[in-house]
Amino acid sequence: MNRNYFFLTVLMLVLAAGTFFLNREPEYEQIKPEKLLYDIIQPTRYVTTDQVARFIIDKDPTLELVDVRSAASYDHFSLNNAINIPFDSLLSPNYQDYFGIPGTKVVFYSNDDILADQAWVITRRMGINETYVMKGGLNCWIETIIQPKEPPEDAPYTAFELYQFRKGAQMYFTGAKVDNSVVKKKKVAVRRKKKQKVAAGGC
Amino acid sequence: MHVHELNPRKTLVTVIIFVLIIIVGFLTLKKPRFKYKLSLEQTVELAHDYEAGFHPFELADVLGKKTNNVVFIDIRDRFSYGQGHIPGAENISAYDLSEPKNIKHLKELQDKEMTVVLYGNDQLQANGPWMWFRQVGFDNVKILLGGYEYYAAHKDALEQTVEDISYLRGEPRYDFAEVAKSVGSVDNTQKVANKKPVVVRRKKKPKVASGGC
Repeated sequence: MNRNYFFLTVLMLVLAAGTFFLNREPEYEQIKPEKLLYDIIQPTRYVTTDQVARFIIDKDPTLELVDVRSAASYDHFSLNNAINIPFDSLLSPNYQDYFGIPGTKVVFYSNDDILADQAWVITRRMGINETYVMKGGLNCWIETIIQPKEPPEDAPYTAFELYQFRKGAQMYFTGAKVDNSVVKKKKVAVRRKKKQKVAAGGC
Repeated sequence: MHVHELNPRKTLVTVIIFVLIIIVGFLTLKKPRFKYKLSLEQTVELAHDYEAGFHPFELADVLGKKTNNVVFIDIRDRFSYGQGHIPGAENISAYDLSEPKNIKHLKELQDKEMTVVLYGNDQLQANGPWMWFRQVGFDNVKILLGGYEYYAAHKDALEQTVEDISYLRGEPRYDFAEVAKSVGSVDNTQKVANKKPVVVRRKKKPKVASGGC
């Protein structure tokens, strides 16, 4: 047998053995740091609570809401059809199938928007596109959708339109009934003519 | 019998040329400007790094010149910076952060072991840039908790913000489930509350004394 072939065989065996020591953890494709910074400074990743409410009400099939809070917080309260991927489990292989689905927009939310924004930065670095952050998080959701405030009388028309939308959304998400108490019926005061006393005169 | 066995000299020349091409390729390879120094796992842990936040009450020492190893970088645009900023803060707009001269300046600050504190209008604005700097190796970069808005509202009493926790982010301000539940049922209870009991008032019989025809 040729000596060269012998050395080649040994080399192949050594390389094959080396594969046993390879890191079995999934390696993620990562975008370049310059590209990540460019994307970070764009404000286009933020969606408002009103936009998210609209997506849910319209049953937008491309929406994927991701709650990055803990499992306990998610169990206590979560948005309609949201899935729970706790922030610390973002890199877990169990959840990777939820990301990067073509035609799907992933909207992260948390109590406010910091944790969701950090989840966005990490998934963006992993090269996942079409991810968004619900600005203000659930705190803002409560203040705008669940407990909307009526605009002042001199507010522009658009503010009233937005308020009407939020009232509708409030009913949709909480099952609240129409609040009729706002339109108060004016009490009709019936004044009966006083009967003349006997002393006041008579027939 | 293979060709290289027939002409070993020719084979050697080919191998040398091949190796030279590889070496030239490596030497002329453009070095990337930035490299991730933190792995993705380390970046996830960064969210729990409470030392990375710069509290507003710590500002009092810096402004009072008690410490001089902190540099503030205002990442808002020039217009916002001109309207008001933390005294002594440098303005590097978020869009210019990766400019070579700015990166050089930040590296110099890192070499001098200076702490760099980034801030935007609110904490969210500086959150992404802060994470980015930490990921590419600037471990001296911190973020101003509460952002400029909180500073501007409390600049006259920064020391007193030690007890304040309203600027800390990440906490729920409501019991979400409870609020949603109460709103869902509030109108029904209102209806009950608003319904006044009907009082039947019978017409009083006129007394004999009240007279009449």
